Amino acid sequence: MIFGKSILSIFKLIKKKEVSGKEVGDYFLKRIEKYNSKINAYLTVNDDYKTGRIYKSDKNRIKLPIAVKDNFCTKGIRTTASSRVLQDFIPPYESTVTKRLIDAGFFILGKTNMDAWAHGSSTETSDFGATKNPWNLSRSAGGSSGGSAAAVSSYLAPVAIGSETAGSIRQPSAWSGVIGLKPTYGRVSRYGLIAMGSSLDCPGPITLTTEDAAFILKIIAGNDKFDATTVKNDVPDYNLSLKKKNKFVIGVTDEYLNGVNQEIQNSFDVLIKLLKKLGHKIKKIKLLSPKYSISVYTIIQRAEVSSNLSRFDGIRYGNDRTYFGSEAKRRIMLGTYVLSYGYYDAYYKKAQKVRTLIIEDFKKVFKEVDMILAPTTPVTALKLGEFEKYPFFGEMMDVLNEPAAIAGLCAINFPFGLAKRDKLPIGLQLMGRWFEEENILNLTYQIEKETDFLGVIKKGISNYPD
Amino acid sequence: MKKKSLTKEEIIHLAKLAGLNLTDKEVEKYKIQLEETISYIENLNELDTEKVKPTSHTTSLTNVYFKDGQQNENAFSLSAVFRNAKNKEKNYFKVKKIF
Repeated sequence: MIFGKSILSIFKLIKKKEVSGKEVGDYFLKRIEKYNSKINAYLTVNDDYKTGRIYKSDKNRIKLPIAVKDNFCTKGIRTTASSRVLQDFIPPYESTVTKRLIDAGFFILGKTNMDAWAHGSSTETSDFGATKNPWNLSRSAGGSSGGSAAAVSSYLAPVAIGSETAGSIRQPSAWSGVIGLKPTYGRVSRYGLIAMGSSLDCPGPITLTTEDAAFILKIIAGNDKFDATTVKNDVPDYNLSLKKKNKFVIGVTDEYLNGVNQEIQNSFDVLIKLLKKLGHKIKKIKLLSPKYSISVYTIIQRAEVSSNLSRFDGIRYGNDRTYFGSEAKRRIMLGTYVLSYGYYDAYYKKAQKVRTLIIEDFKKVFKEVDMILAPTTPVTALKLGEFEKYPFFGEMMDVLNEPAAIAGLCAINFPFGLAKRDKLPIGLQLMGRWFEEENILNLTYQIEKETDFLGVIKKGISNYPD
Repeated sequence: MKKKSLTKEEIIHLAKLAGLNLTDKEVEKYKIQLEETISYIENLNELDTEKVKPTSHTTSLTNVYFKDGQQNENAFSLSAVFRNAKNKEKNYFKVKKIF
């Protein structure tokens, strides 16, 4: 009865009293017990679910399960950011994202695995073991929100929260065959999110349906007095605007197809034909090569990492700096270098200038088109172990995600078919103007209604029966 | 691509600035990896940015101030503050001697 249901459907079932909150909670606990040891999606399962304590308090309140990436501070629930530095850290406060979810009737089912400190695109830098791709256990689930994406695609959670700095929601969603929404920078509060790149970080939902993504975004979005970078713009009713049959002008560019696997390009072509059939306009555009975004991103993010991780001294909480893993140390070193005397202008300031060029480039293009369609990743999920061979392979894998992140745009990944060669999901993305999540959600919903994402999401879940 | 080179001393100095203790093997490893990454990111020099202003944030932001006398809703109790500390004495964090 619950199997494969979206969070909105579960919500309706509970409201109609066809199923109780406890039945839903127990159902997911049972699935986690059955499958998590294979996939390693969760690092921590909330004890209050196991003991049933959540059902005893506030009995009339609806309690919906949600998985949360382990870099969101959750009051009283261990939060590690997948690093041994924080292996026994119990936050004394709740992040704004989880607080808003709890206030809306959610209860945190568990905390999901990720690359340590969100440094990576495969969850392999986690100090607690990699997350396996539910489609093929020898493959990476992607990262850094790999645990959240894998939990949703194997239905160990009906919905999950991830965070993205440049690709960390979209890329694991693409590789695991689910929907991942990266909102505009400043749309969702970063308060209580363990900081990676503060000028880039953005929380967002990973879901089975477009409606669920709209539903969760509405809850977590909006100005927050604890995060001065959140904007005061009104939060629209995203679910309401899904139903409009809008027609869009959609930009496509060859720059985003260079080096992209042929099967992914084929999926891209199939979708373009469909969009034309639905009455949308496709327009060729020209954008700066994403290869510059790799450099801008590497410099800015490493600089912000070295600054953000300087607080981990083991005095007030956590372990000392000898507990940092190899990837964190490498990033701190490069960040320290690009910010140091004599190099600041050559690297950091130069990168911030090119960042301006990238933003201006998008602004120009968005005068002609409403959104941009591109593949999310150049290849389908890689084998575990591929990443450690290169010092910034993750950045290369996220090349199609970095430009939008650097500019702070909103973007959404959705699955569109399976590659014949390896039977793994293909992800495509829509990048929208600043604060126009409504539009990219609207078009994703139209694609879902028309194609059901070529059956990918349902097929993924069917690999993990009750 | 011109290869940028760093000295071992520079790596050790960076590690000191960042508060990291590296082994000799790590110094050697990061030297090579940093050189490789830095050589790549120099591709930004292909772009002319002389008249471009650097970005400080991607959305229009204004300062938010904390009003005098305003209650800090997120203030922690002492027990919450010390709950995660590994080394404490009474209401103090214990740290290594600096001087």
